[in-house]
Amino acid sequence: MNNTFNIQRFGLLLKRQWLEFGKIYLISLLVALGVIITFYGLALWKNIVGTHAFSERDLHFREPLFLIFGFIFISIIASNYFAHLGQKPKAIIDLLIPASTFEKFLTGIFFTSILAIASFVILFYLTDLAFVSKLRSLYHSVSSVTTYTDASGKEVKSIDNIMYFFSKNSPNLFKPLYAVPFFVTSIFLVGSIYFNKFHYIKTAISVMIFSGIWSLIIFKSGEFLFEGKVLIESEEMPLNNVSRSDGEILGVLLLVVLTAIFWSITYVRLKEKEV
Amino acid sequence: MIKINNLNFGYSKHQLLFKNLSMQLSNGHIYGLLGKNGAGKSTLLKNLAGLVYAESGTLDVLGFNPAKRQPALLEQICFIPEEFYLPSVKIDAYVKANAAFYPNFDHPYFTALLAEFDIPVGQKLINMSYGQKKKVIIAFGLATNAKLIIMDEPTNGLDIPSKAQFRKIMASALTEDRCIIISTHQVRDLDNLIDTVIMLDENSVALKASVEEITNKLVFKRVKEIDDKVIYAEPSLAGYNAVMPNFHQEDSKLDLELLFNAVLAEKNKLKPIFN
Amino acid sequence: MEFRDNKAIYLQIAAYVCEHILLGKWKVDEKVSSVREMAVALEVNPNTVMRTYELLQSKNIISNKRGIGFFVAENALVNVKDYLKTQFIEEELPVVFRNVYLLNIGFDELETRYNTFVKETFNP
Repeated sequence: MNNTFNIQRFGLLLKRQWLEFGKIYLISLLVALGVIITFYGLALWKNIVGTHAFSERDLHFREPLFLIFGFIFISIIASNYFAHLGQKPKAIIDLLIPASTFEKFLTGIFFTSILAIASFVILFYLTDLAFVSKLRSLYHSVSSVTTYTDASGKEVKSIDNIMYFFSKNSPNLFKPLYAVPFFVTSIFLVGSIYFNKFHYIKTAISVMIFSGIWSLIIFKSGEFLFEGKVLIESEEMPLNNVSRSDGEILGVLLLVVLTAIFWSITYVRLKEKEV
Repeated sequence: MIKINNLNFGYSKHQLLFKNLSMQLSNGHIYGLLGKNGAGKSTLLKNLAGLVYAESGTLDVLGFNPAKRQPALLEQICFIPEEFYLPSVKIDAYVKANAAFYPNFDHPYFTALLAEFDIPVGQKLINMSYGQKKKVIIAFGLATNAKLIIMDEPTNGLDIPSKAQFRKIMASALTEDRCIIISTHQVRDLDNLIDTVIMLDENSVALKASVEEITNKLVFKRVKEIDDKVIYAEPSLAGYNAVMPNFHQEDSKLDLELLFNAVLAEKNKLKPIFN
Repeated sequence: MEFRDNKAIYLQIAAYVCEHILLGKWKVDEKVSSVREMAVALEVNPNTVMRTYELLQSKNIISNKRGIGFFVAENALVNVKDYLKTQFIEEELPVVFRNVYLLNIGFDELETRYNTFVKETFNP
């Protein structure tokens, strides 16, 4: 018997966790859907009932909604996943389920990082589709022109009357940011197993303190290294020697590494969990 | 089946609960684990199930190290904790989600056990009383056909008829390839059920002996007066209930409560008898 | 079955089985309850019942047919009586004698009382 990973056992575990958390998960999804619809409704109902003419600006709420609420949603889901291990009776049952620690950990990744993120994007997409389709049927005359460069370097001009969220903000444009939601969920997942109570708040505070300290170190060390010095640009050392894409790669790499580190800590904590 | 060697365990590094605890348990027995509050009964059981980790020493359970929490061992362990949690689903949903992890799970046996315990199958677990839930979790645990059955205070919360049902069920659950360990304060609930007594006191095993060995070496009887042969005695209506060395090969019934108090009070007199 | 306080459980079970045989509930060559059935019925550890059965086997009251189970032995009735007699003489008689001695009861008085008791109880 393979004591580390067995696909059939992993399947059973996914099913079991779904039976355990599925109901709460679906309720959270419903709440999320409610919130998204409320925002769309409040912002657009005047345009839809026709008391107020539509303008492109009326859709500007979508980006902050997607980012902020998306962050809140996936972080809450992630910070709940292992939270019950803080309660002895629940932890005993979970730890004794005949599946390996690795399988239990992977199930956590699946629910928090794959299912949560995917379902949020789909919910947002569907709500947007519904509202924008309605607007498009009402306002044929409003149109916008966007130009962007596609993968082959060709400039593409796209004319759209009222744009859907995901065609305005084409997923292709934000590839480097794909790592962000995984990074966010990994932080809150580790928080859910690290703390025994008040997981969300404690994780959020820890992140704030940690990033505060980190910024301070960067700032102070910069001050220490460069104070009273003048930066001289030379042929060999151009000021902007890091190109945009290099910077992006570096940033993504950093996020990926940090995510991997948080996931490994989660795994180790799960392995070492005592009741 | 279980070998414990020089186990050192403490919830804090400075205060050890077990010091060099060693003991071996074999198949085909029902062990009764006794001890004062805080003597470490539950902790010893958790060590066996791999729910806590020892400071040092070795633990061998069915050939595995329980601390590794390998599925191959977990599927052979049935652990009934004192405080437990069951999700708010129907019994059949619970079984559907959890039984598949146990390759030897016996569905007809589970149904028979529920019937014996008077539990309606269709009932939701959340609407059940503590005692009913406990019966469900015991029935489920036994139906897994696990080789090692660990029960922490199983009769707590059971009403009088359920205690009798429990004793019947445990009497039938003992097979030659099974090892059953039951910790209890309620010795009267179980005293005819256990065949070997394990008593924890002062960081270690104060006594481990089969009922047969105990009644071969000690005699439990009512006496009018206490003489110097009496190891320990408690006043009763007609004189004293006394524990004495069994010089004349008398047959007597083991009085667990009396033995328990005798071990606590007169450890030094009893030790040479059992070594 | 109610267990009494002072006698070893396995002996109480032995007495229970003997009583069944004496009363004719289990006849010679009939199967007796399996160890497990007996343990469940009496709510005791199967190993205790096993100890009882081993004792009864050594007294030739029951016999073990391999793979089938335990059966009432051929001379069970005689052996049960032997066994109970030994037990009575070893355990209960000393208590009676002690009282007879302490209370100064004469053998003549005992004999008359014994005869009346037998007459009243067994030959009505």
